[in-house]
Amino acid sequence: MELPLLLSSTLTMCVIGLLVNPIAGLGGAVGLKGTDGQVGEARARGALPRASGRAMEALALLSGLPVCFISCSGAMGEEALRNAGVSRYEVAYRASSGLTSADDTVAACRIFLERNVDLVLFCGGDGTARDVYSVLGDATPMLGIPAGVKMYSAVFAVTPTAAARIVMSGCREGGHFLIRDAEVVDVDEEAYREGELKTHLFGIAKSPYVRGLIQSTKQVFESHDEERAKTDIAHFIREVMDGTPDILYILGPGSTTAAIAGELDLKKTLLGFDAVKGGALVASDLHEQAFLALLKEGTQARLVISIIGAQGALLGRGTQQVSPNVIRIIGIENIIVVATPQKLTETPVVFVDTGDPDLDTSFGTHISVISGYRIARRIKIGTGEIPSPNTG
Amino acid sequence: MHTKILLDEDQMPKAWYNILADLPTPLDPPLHPGTGKPLVPEDLSHIFPMELILQEMSPKRMIDIPSEVQDILRLWRPSPLYRAHRLEKHLKTPAHIYYKYEGVSPPGSHKPNTAVPQAYYNMKAGIERIATETGAGQWGSALAFATQLFGLECTVYMVRSSYSQKPYRKSMMQVWGAECIPSPSTRTKAGSSVLQKDPETPGSLGIAISEAVEDAATHSNTNYSLGSVLNHVCLHQTITGLESKEQLAMVDEYPDVVIGCLGGGSNFAGISFPFAGDKLKGTHRETDIIAVEPASCPKLTKGLYTYDYGDVAGLTPLLKMFTLGHDFVPPSIHAGGLRYHGASPIDSKLIHDGVMRAVSYHQSEVFDAAQTFARTEGIIIAPETSHAARAAIDEALRCKKSGEAKTILFNCSGHGHFDMSAYDAYYAHQLVDYEYPEKLIRESLARLPKIPGT
Repeated sequence: MELPLLLSSTLTMCVIGLLVNPIAGLGGAVGLKGTDGQVGEARARGALPRASGRAMEALALLSGLPVCFISCSGAMGEEALRNAGVSRYEVAYRASSGLTSADDTVAACRIFLERNVDLVLFCGGDGTARDVYSVLGDATPMLGIPAGVKMYSAVFAVTPTAAARIVMSGCREGGHFLIRDAEVVDVDEEAYREGELKTHLFGIAKSPYVRGLIQSTKQVFESHDEERAKTDIAHFIREVMDGTPDILYILGPGSTTAAIAGELDLKKTLLGFDAVKGGALVASDLHEQAFLALLKEGTQARLVISIIGAQGALLGRGTQQVSPNVIRIIGIENIIVVATPQKLTETPVVFVDTGDPDLDTSFGTHISVISGYRIARRIKIGTGEIPSPNTG
Repeated sequence: MHTKILLDEDQMPKAWYNILADLPTPLDPPLHPGTGKPLVPEDLSHIFPMELILQEMSPKRMIDIPSEVQDILRLWRPSPLYRAHRLEKHLKTPAHIYYKYEGVSPPGSHKPNTAVPQAYYNMKAGIERIATETGAGQWGSALAFATQLFGLECTVYMVRSSYSQKPYRKSMMQVWGAECIPSPSTRTKAGSSVLQKDPETPGSLGIAISEAVEDAATHSNTNYSLGSVLNHVCLHQTITGLESKEQLAMVDEYPDVVIGCLGGGSNFAGISFPFAGDKLKGTHRETDIIAVEPASCPKLTKGLYTYDYGDVAGLTPLLKMFTLGHDFVPPSIHAGGLRYHGASPIDSKLIHDGVMRAVSYHQSEVFDAAQTFARTEGIIIAPETSHAARAAIDEALRCKKSGEAKTILFNCSGHGHFDMSAYDAYYAHQLVDYEYPEKLIRESLARLPKIPGT
């Protein structure tokens, strides 16, 4: 499709790697709660591929933009691009067989990385997000068009249309996307099929976003990006730690807590729990037994944690190292929750699911979340089940 | 039964009430920021006219309002006292709720009660220009209004976040001939240094004060003016409480509860000091006097009572007051106003000594009250004022439970016509309930100025 002259001459071309996981979501429609290892069963139950259609929905809105797509053959991208009326694309990866797998996702993403794309736009679910992230890490931003069975990771737009809007906004800025941290969460599909949600934090990706509706009202003045907010939080917590050198601080997973360690010039494990006392790293990547050993003999400790995933999970999801026993020893009053305003805008309600309902109840109805330098927000604690992910 | 209780123009008070004369123990003196010694009048003479400095320290109980000032105040004063019949009915409370409505002034708030005399005394002292700061713009627009009545120029340093959020306050200042500059600015050393460290800063009242003080101190034809906190500002505001007392007497009432919102403390001082004076003198010992502050900036309920600067740069005298620390920058997207880190030294002392007390509210609770008030009494009030309305409603609801027919008076300090974006945010469920993590901050706080012997 030809671009209007004005547009093409004034805007820089944005390069996007596009990947569709053709089998994403196959299991969901037929009650399989996930597609890992279940493609045959899903097809036997009559599941029809839907990922390509979801991708097309987003791509149709992008067909007039100064974007060049680098994509994959057939159902892994080309089909959706063609059906959406996009003409500016290149097929850079060809799957060896019709039945694609995680290996194909990984191979395609390696090519995207080599080609230095501005963004990887993928269409799938949590499994696809995990595979894409395993290649990109935090080197290249990624954004998911939701098409899977589960989307607990924070890299997904709410709908295909929303994904298109985010891409458009970045393209208007010549490929300069507003970037935030987004957790990639790994869900244990076998447990999920048994009705149990077991997740762990797989990694923290870079993901583009558009400022939410909150920014459209005039009373809001928020030019700060998420990095700035993290620095403010980290600066405050460091001052608190400086003022309480006898307290053992346990920093949970995530980039906000990593920023706190950064303020102290300490190297933190991004996905684990590390213990800090008097400005020095005492232990890394703690598990339950190590926690209990550290906390014995009345050590005064504080747990500094952030909110994980797209559903606002505070404890439980991705933080299984912290057992109810550990939380009881530390004391709920010694839990400091930190989260950036950007994160809180997406998760106005948080959920606590320690695995011990009595303990969950004792968190009360609201929690104070440190969201900046000497600033906290009162956030509602949701009750009952952690909500299902958005499937658009 | 009256709805509006009105005074004639000739019943307007001719003198302000100076509560300093009735304090059982004297106020801790303001200290020089350089020497740490108590201030002498000359220390302030490069930024304030002598008449205001003398008022700041005066032991006289009643201080005459100059007739030129009275002439201007009569443009809207005496302001009406309303009995909130419809709100009482809605709440099904036996309490009598009265509100003193200051939104009838040309700038729409209580602020011109002090802007007019301040401009007058500066004019009399031969000053040509006044520099000031403003947060949401109420004070800036009030001073713009007042200065042009006396032919003075006016420069307003407006907190940057408000400058972009409240364009119409800026327009008002322009209509009244003032220059309005977003703060921090490069016009002053204080502003430049903040911008250099943090180009993205939303600004704060503390920073804007530093700029205005520096502007005044470095220009001989220019003085500084503050819209709250200081004793003389509280003094000028007492006209609201004095009028209210007379108006209540007209319907044989005396308040059991007096309520005002508190940012720097002058509107609260204005409504409460005449009643606090009665309490101190022993004529009405039981009056419950309540200052209402936002949970996001809770200096009275969570701050320290100590000496602190009034501004970020540490240019102002040190005042003994409730403070969150002069470097506290409140959340810029808090919609409810009242964002100053400190509080009037007199209010602080009276609260500290138990003559008055303080409560805090989250902003969503405050806007709930504003909506109730607008839907019963009709007036769309300013977010700041809504804090007082919240407390008044809660007091009335307590009366409903206890069956007491208490008389509640609150200062309805201004209308909210320029704050509709905050109401929009409320209806879009976008108001954030900020909190002040007190315990952690205390642990981290080592930045208050160290004053020997305090």
